[in-house]
Amino acid sequence: MLKKTGLITYLQVTPLTVVLVLFFVIPVALVVVVSFFRYKMLVGLVPDFTFQNYADLLSNPTTWSLYVSTIKFTLIVLLVTFVLGFWISYFLVFHVRNLLTAIGLFLLCTVPFWTSTIIRMISWRPVLGREGLINSGLQGAGIVDQPFDWLLFSDFSVVVAYVHLFTLFMIVPIFNSMARIDKSLLEAAVDAGATRWGVVWNVVLPLSKTGIALGALFVVTLVMGDFFVVTVMSGGLSGSATSGIFNDLQFLNYPRAAASAVILLIVVLVIAASIFRLVDVRKELVR
Amino acid sequence: MKKAGEVTTTKTISRRSILKGGAAIVGATAITGFPTVWAQGLKDITLNHTGMSYSTLADIARQASQDLGFKVEMSVVDHPGLLNRLVNDPSSIDIADMEIWQSKVAVPQGVLQGVDIARIKNWGELTPLFTDGVFAGKEVSRQGDSPFEFIYRDSKDATSFATGKTDWANFCPGVYNADTLGIRPDLTGREITSWADLISSDFKGKTAIQNIPTIGIMDAMMAMEAAGEVTYGDKGNPTQDEISQTIARLIELKKAGHFRALWNTFDESVNLMAAGEVVIQSMWSPAVTAVRTQGINCVYQPLKEGYRGWGNGLGMLSHLDGLKLDAAYEYLNWYNSGWVGGFIAKQGYYSANPESAKAALTENERGFFYEGKAATADITSPTGEKTNSIGEVRDGGSYEERFANVAVWNNLMDEAEFLYAKWNEFNAA
Amino acid sequence: MSASPSYGSRPWTFYVLATLFTLFVIFLYGPMIAVLILSFQGPSASLVFPLRDPSFMWFDELFNPRRTGDVVGAFNRSLPLAILVMFLTVLISVTAGFAFRRRFKGATAIFYTAIASLIVPGLVLSIGTLVTFRYLGMSANWYTSALGAHLSWALPFGLLIMFAVLGRLNPSYEEAAFDLGATKWQIVKEVVVPIVFPGMIAVALFGFTLSYDEFPRSWLTVGTKNTLPLEIWTMTTNVTSPALYALGAVTTFVSFIVIAVALASIILIQRKRFRGK
Repeated sequence: MLKKTGLITYLQVTPLTVVLVLFFVIPVALVVVVSFFRYKMLVGLVPDFTFQNYADLLSNPTTWSLYVSTIKFTLIVLLVTFVLGFWISYFLVFHVRNLLTAIGLFLLCTVPFWTSTIIRMISWRPVLGREGLINSGLQGAGIVDQPFDWLLFSDFSVVVAYVHLFTLFMIVPIFNSMARIDKSLLEAAVDAGATRWGVVWNVVLPLSKTGIALGALFVVTLVMGDFFVVTVMSGGLSGSATSGIFNDLQFLNYPRAAASAVILLIVVLVIAASIFRLVDVRKELVR
Repeated sequence: MKKAGEVTTTKTISRRSILKGGAAIVGATAITGFPTVWAQGLKDITLNHTGMSYSTLADIARQASQDLGFKVEMSVVDHPGLLNRLVNDPSSIDIADMEIWQSKVAVPQGVLQGVDIARIKNWGELTPLFTDGVFAGKEVSRQGDSPFEFIYRDSKDATSFATGKTDWANFCPGVYNADTLGIRPDLTGREITSWADLISSDFKGKTAIQNIPTIGIMDAMMAMEAAGEVTYGDKGNPTQDEISQTIARLIELKKAGHFRALWNTFDESVNLMAAGEVVIQSMWSPAVTAVRTQGINCVYQPLKEGYRGWGNGLGMLSHLDGLKLDAAYEYLNWYNSGWVGGFIAKQGYYSANPESAKAALTENERGFFYEGKAATADITSPTGEKTNSIGEVRDGGSYEERFANVAVWNNLMDEAEFLYAKWNEFNAA
Repeated sequence: MSASPSYGSRPWTFYVLATLFTLFVIFLYGPMIAVLILSFQGPSASLVFPLRDPSFMWFDELFNPRRTGDVVGAFNRSLPLAILVMFLTVLISVTAGFAFRRRFKGATAIFYTAIASLIVPGLVLSIGTLVTFRYLGMSANWYTSALGAHLSWALPFGLLIMFAVLGRLNPSYEEAAFDLGATKWQIVKEVVVPIVFPGMIAVALFGFTLSYDEFPRSWLTVGTKNTLPLEIWTMTTNVTSPALYALGAVTTFVSFIVIAVALASIILIQRKRFRGK
């Protein structure tokens, strides 16, 4: 019986493994190999085994300042999306009494998600621009004389776009985690004299930590790996940890791009591992 | 590479057997049989033209399919997408619509086959700007990647560039233009005459440059040289020191809030200008037209230091053979035979066969786009929106004025790797 | 409020959170409303306010393109791709999720590979996949290389959401059913699926949208013809017209219809069940 269970387990995990090997392990192994090659203008890849690409990147202060700026964005976005994601999930799960209404409201949040990211980024321009809705509204109401330039093409607009695009990635796992909390637990806690805040802090928060960890992982991954949103929304005035990759690919400098990618992969994997050290998402599964 | 060679061989063999079959039919039927078979076979061909959005236009494919009898389809990609696909997935492309500097990367990779000049019937009519490296009797600037330096190769399968004229081309000339700065004359408050105005403190917070490093650095160098801040040996191929100095100054300007934005896409430049966020910036000609169609006065301003030229070429991929190769030659011949020239003139670009392009335009359009004359009737964009009124003269100067005054060509400089690292610093600053 | 008397009156936190939720929805839809209005822009083709000479021309342009990209053709590739990715993601990540309920050799390795697959920069994976295909002697295509590249990104999301979902499934339920003499299939159908189903919907939703909207991993892997995000991207590299806004407006409209139909069918099914009982 035990042996049979083991076999089934391996069968269950086989499709996932096959896809990952074919479309992640092999391509990324190639990338890792290329990261030790050299690039020569107009010739392309020169096979080699050198740490030069890594040395160049790590000794360049630009790499560090880009990582600092990306990590800053990551932390801000993480905080905002967590606060939003947690309380919106809490509202949907514990305050909306009709399940169907809750699902309806949840889906309402997902609709904009189906419109292209690019269109949703562009759509902030008529809102935040110098002659946009907010500025003309403020000026029309006589609140300000000069339009606010910091609304668009700034760190502010980058954060706005990130929150707009990625909050759902926080809501979905937290919502799923919270939905499985037995509501009688809450009633029991209240009956035992716990305050509303105490219930949230001592019952809801610990029981939804799997969802929070997963949401955090999604948001960290998305923001750390992004170059597109930050470039468009900052008007090209800010870069990200990976923006160098896109530039290098413009003239086929694969070795340097590969080295940047490997560095990012390692950094984010370390972050992921520390998240899982705080919250072991697999532990709750295995009983 | 070896693998690709093998594939080609097998394809050649199978083509021969097909041709043999075709010959047998000719023998069996009337003498006119062969062309029918050829035309029949050609009809089933689909030729893919892949390039960037500004020249890879659906209208051209539609007209080509209609005129040539086989199907031409357009695939639009971004700059790095084209190069990466050319090198790593060449069989997904038939005709590559490359910028001159991109051919500099693609040709050494051996993904393009030489174009047999004898099979391009209108080659002799093409502008000497591409074929001889001269324009209006004068040698065109060799700063940067001028078309003439990269158009020829020594043999069909060569993977390097020829030093002089040969019988094989790396590409058939495509569209080209000479770029300058776009301005909002209603908002600049004074006349703009020099590239130096791009970095003038008069326009602090109201300028933008393009965030495409190879082109952005050109605009920056033109401006800094004009302002007398930096001198360059060859703007088309600056040294590391020159690049460092230029980027250092750009970072200083950025930190001082000089740039409202660095634009990445064409569309961003249009919006920046139309919304009045920016009054002077790097711009491409159709972007100026796009702002004008919104009824906003925007001018592509000729500047005393000259223009930044660029050009495209249509390359044939190595895997093309047999009927598909025939179709490709038909298409390249058609491309410079008039219709495209007329169409892209309204888009703001020039045809490598100006005489045929002029013939495809009305007298009014011909005068306006090519001869620097005032419009005698309203000028419309290819989609039919009015861009200029009667009496207006095309901004940016006449065809002759533009190309006689190209100061530097878009290029991939020797120090590109260094430039990209430096540009990243500029982005990060 | 009187409709559900058993709960008593709503606490003050309800109003605070309802306000937060409303503000969030306004934030989500604010720019969409700007898009909706500006999609009726006239021939002046401006992407910003004010709206001049309102017209339907950009909707027409969307379906009968003259200059703007081939939105319809790109959609005809993106939709089947997204649906394929959706089904495969649900199938593969649900089964894999069950595997992770037991300890097995290599579990940690597979888990971290999946996480790494989520993290790796899409543009680089795009090139890696393309080069892999070149070595295999294959050309890129949306239903081969792009499908794989999308799965390498949708599956980790699906798997992780299954982790959040499966924690809800206490093995004692299955054991109890087994003790009561249920067959394996009955256990899956009567016990497992009802509990896991809402989670599967979430996984499906993710699988679909992650593929439908994926740019970097599609960049070089779709082959000759673009999928929708690539087509939209290339459209922004040329004269961008309010046709993009029209596309946004149509997408939102269709999404609402899909969701309304889905909700209505859930209500109908519930009512039928209720009547049946």
